[in-house]
Amino acid sequence: MKPSTPLEDGVYYAAIQIEDPARRKAFLDQACAGDAQLRAAVEELLDARAGAERLFAQGALALNVSAETLQAANGAPPLAGDDRVKLPDDEQLGGRIGHYRLVQKIGEGGCGTVYLAEQEEPVRRSVALKIIKLGMDTKNVIARFTAESQALALMDHANIARALDAGATDTGRPYFVMELVRGQKITDYCDQRNLDIRPRLDLFLQICHAIQHAHQKGIIHRDIKPSNILVTQDDGVPVPKVIDFGIAKAITGGRLANNTVFTASEQFMGTPAYMSPEQAQMNSVDVDTRSDIYSLGVLLYELLTGKTPFDPRELTETGLDNMRHTLREMEPPRPSAMLAALPAGELAEAALHRHIEPGRLTALVRGDLDWIVIKTLEKDRARRYETASELALDIQRYLNSEPVLASPPSRIYQFQKLVRRNRATFAAAVAVTAALCLGLGLSTWLFFKERQAHQEADLQKQRAVDLRGKADARENITLAAIAVNRGDFEEANARVQKIPVAYFYPSLEAANVFRSLGVWHALHGRWMEASYQFAGLLQVNQFENDQSDAAARDLLEAGAPLIEIADQDRYEHFRREAIRRFAGTTNPVAAERVVRASLLVPASLTTMNSLSLLAEVVAKSLATAGSSAAPGGLEAPWKPIALALMEYRQGHWAEAADRGRASLTFPDKNPAEIATARLILSLCDHRLGQDAEALAELALARTPIQAQFSQDLIQGGEAEGYWFDWAMARILMREAIGLIEGSAQPVNVPANPSKADPPKPQATLMPGRCPFAQPARIFMADFGGRRRLYLRAQRFGIATPTFRRSRTDEYSGIQAGWIYANS
Amino acid sequence: MNDITVVLQSLGRGGSQASEQLLTLVYEELRRLAAARMARESPGQTIQATALVHEAWLQLTANGDRNWQNRAHFFGAAADAMRRILIDNARRKARLKHGGGQSRVNIEDVQLAERTPDEDVLLIDEALERLQAEDPEKARIVVMKFFGGLTNEEVAQSLGISERTVDRQWACAKARLFRWIREQR
Repeated sequence: MKPSTPLEDGVYYAAIQIEDPARRKAFLDQACAGDAQLRAAVEELLDARAGAERLFAQGALALNVSAETLQAANGAPPLAGDDRVKLPDDEQLGGRIGHYRLVQKIGEGGCGTVYLAEQEEPVRRSVALKIIKLGMDTKNVIARFTAESQALALMDHANIARALDAGATDTGRPYFVMELVRGQKITDYCDQRNLDIRPRLDLFLQICHAIQHAHQKGIIHRDIKPSNILVTQDDGVPVPKVIDFGIAKAITGGRLANNTVFTASEQFMGTPAYMSPEQAQMNSVDVDTRSDIYSLGVLLYELLTGKTPFDPRELTETGLDNMRHTLREMEPPRPSAMLAALPAGELAEAALHRHIEPGRLTALVRGDLDWIVIKTLEKDRARRYETASELALDIQRYLNSEPVLASPPSRIYQFQKLVRRNRATFAAAVAVTAALCLGLGLSTWLFFKERQAHQEADLQKQRAVDLRGKADARENITLAAIAVNRGDFEEANARVQKIPVAYFYPSLEAANVFRSLGVWHALHGRWMEASYQFAGLLQVNQFENDQSDAAARDLLEAGAPLIEIADQDRYEHFRREAIRRFAGTTNPVAAERVVRASLLVPASLTTMNSLSLLAEVVAKSLATAGSSAAPGGLEAPWKPIALALMEYRQGHWAEAADRGRASLTFPDKNPAEIATARLILSLCDHRLGQDAEALAELALARTPIQAQFSQDLIQGGEAEGYWFDWAMARILMREAIGLIEGSAQPVNVPANPSKADPPKPQATLMPGRCPFAQPARIFMADFGGRRRLYLRAQRFGIATPTFRRSRTDEYSGIQAGWIYANS
Repeated sequence: MNDITVVLQSLGRGGSQASEQLLTLVYEELRRLAAARMARESPGQTIQATALVHEAWLQLTANGDRNWQNRAHFFGAAADAMRRILIDNARRKARLKHGGGQSRVNIEDVQLAERTPDEDVLLIDEALERLQAEDPEKARIVVMKFFGGLTNEEVAQSLGISERTVDRQWACAKARLFRWIREQR
């Protein structure tokens, strides 16, 4: 084996801390400058890394031992009965732990042993007592459990077996006491009785309701799997009971292992097959109720097909990295596809246990049941059912032969998934803005650009270079795509600029490029360029009706840049199209997003009317989701915020303020939501004559927003707010500033932060071509020394004026005297 | 068990030849513990080696002395013991597989964990031997982490080095071992 040098080790170790491949390469360039040998050695090690991790993780998992192994290895005869060592668990049979007397062992789990025990104080009853046999930090485990026990005690549901108590044995192991459930694992129960699909679904419905109950009490199970769902018979009626609430969280502390103790957690993690992608991530990503929804999906999958979406052995045996990768990236086969792919024997067995012919089983599962399952198994948790009762409702609809919410993925969606897999390292959470398409009005602009291009060239020459141009375009797109994958956006941008607009052709590659570049520009505040890229995306995408909430989220991305470039024309058109596309949707998340994206500036009556239908969808969803304390994830507060904005635009100040305040009571919110809510509150306060409060709220909102924009934006996410959330917040902020601090019009006008009178006109207007047929006014904006010309024109029939902002900031002329501030 | 405590204490006082003794004792203890456990399990049940080690530790210190130094020594020894056990086991299975007819153990009686990559373990062991010659610290760390299942903190305390060093050595060792193993396949 080649000996290593500390230098090689040091560079290698430093290099593996850097995730981004481009930055890692840069680091290596620097660190190994001039030393080709060093570079080669380190590259070799880096190359070996993946395989090494896998080998050792695998090896650790596989270091299993049986008694015979140990004896045989030693050549010694088996131990005689009385020579046995007394194990801590054993000696207590008949003995006591706390107030409990152990009677009998009733089960053995991945991490513990379950006993039937008799409770003596304060009441006499039979309970189940589970002793965790792993060596772990018992004090903290119990503390965590106790912390949640209040909430656990509040649970009261026929299908939940409650945890009652926790403590430590004499030997320092944690134990949990639970309601005794004499029953069978649900999968075994169903299989042994060869239950039809329908009764299986009935059992599943009850489980959903139980989980819903727990979620409303703020308890996430985190470890839903068949062995945690026992079915008992109550007068001949099967009753499923979910057990082990609170235990997973207590043991893992809410986050699964850091690397150093992964072996302990590995053992706990008995069934990674049931883990949601975000749980598999195993860092401090917060796991919420939708993680349970995912696990319910796996359960449903297994009840229907007899298999889990991913093979459990494969998950555990190929090592930790692979497991994570599979759960987070690989798409599971649809249940009917899984069945269809089974060998005949297995399919027959599954069908037998479901009391149906094999062919009919596949056919039965295909369609609605497929889509329901797939919806719960979405990697993106925002796409799953929001609550367990929503899932239950859909299943109920299926049972009543009514149409279900879940639907087969549109071509756009499949296309999105495809792009997602080949996505740039930009780590965007937003799917392809394919939904941007469908005539969002940007085509007129493209038309202008194109006309411009053509006017500058000789038509004859154009035709000749047309063919070559197309080929060049193709090549440039490919090169741009490669650059995007590398994270080299400058290069990609340069490539794209070389392609005349007319040569944009439909392709996945191009879509990905435009999308990535659009977001990249936006994050750096280059709004014009960003809108251009989104427009390009329009041209290269397929059109399809997609009312998903991901599609709606894409709207949010596109809307902000349009306001930023003060292109109210386009924004109007964009908003009208958005409303038209999502008219009639019942998806509250999509509806919320359309409302929010459409109300960045005031709207006409007709627009408001069409928006009100969408607002109703949002309102209804809020009402049925239960109390505002119900966990709905970090995206939930946007709903009341959108409604607040709606009310505000309608002039209902008090109602808007109520909604705004309601959104701030949600337990999970990100800073963008808080800032936006505050802005709306400040606007309302001002309208209601409460100036002091208005100023206070505005100040509170302003700080985080300005902080965000004090440097380049980051992509963001659910926890901190997406970049477009912040962009939209800033737009509202300007409005608030204009209204509260300035004397400007109540429209989205960047307004004067100081209370001085608008200054008098200075100098003469610069000659230039005005793009509008009838310019009404020209203004100059001045803030921090940057001056821009604003043209304000009144569009016939629309209440709000449109604005056009100049690109450069050198001006010496204005007319009329309104002064605006630039953010 | 008492023997072990005694030896551990003498180690604590700086007795070095006690470590060989410790290894033997720990080895015995692990064997007994596993046997006792397995006797009441269904055949074919297996447990994780590291769970066994931790359990042995709990047993050992049930009556109180959880001294950190002792623990480090114990785990170090247990890791070595475990390695020995597992390698012996892997070798036996490899021999059996290749029809080496020495032992007359009926193949059905040998209840082994279903999917032990024996050859992998043997290769890791061989690679470790080589690593031992060149870089004993790395090798020790590998034994403690891989066979003993110790955390970075435990290894660091045991060897008297920083956690970061442990992490670095572990990462580098894995890569190097794998590279060598890969060449052998």
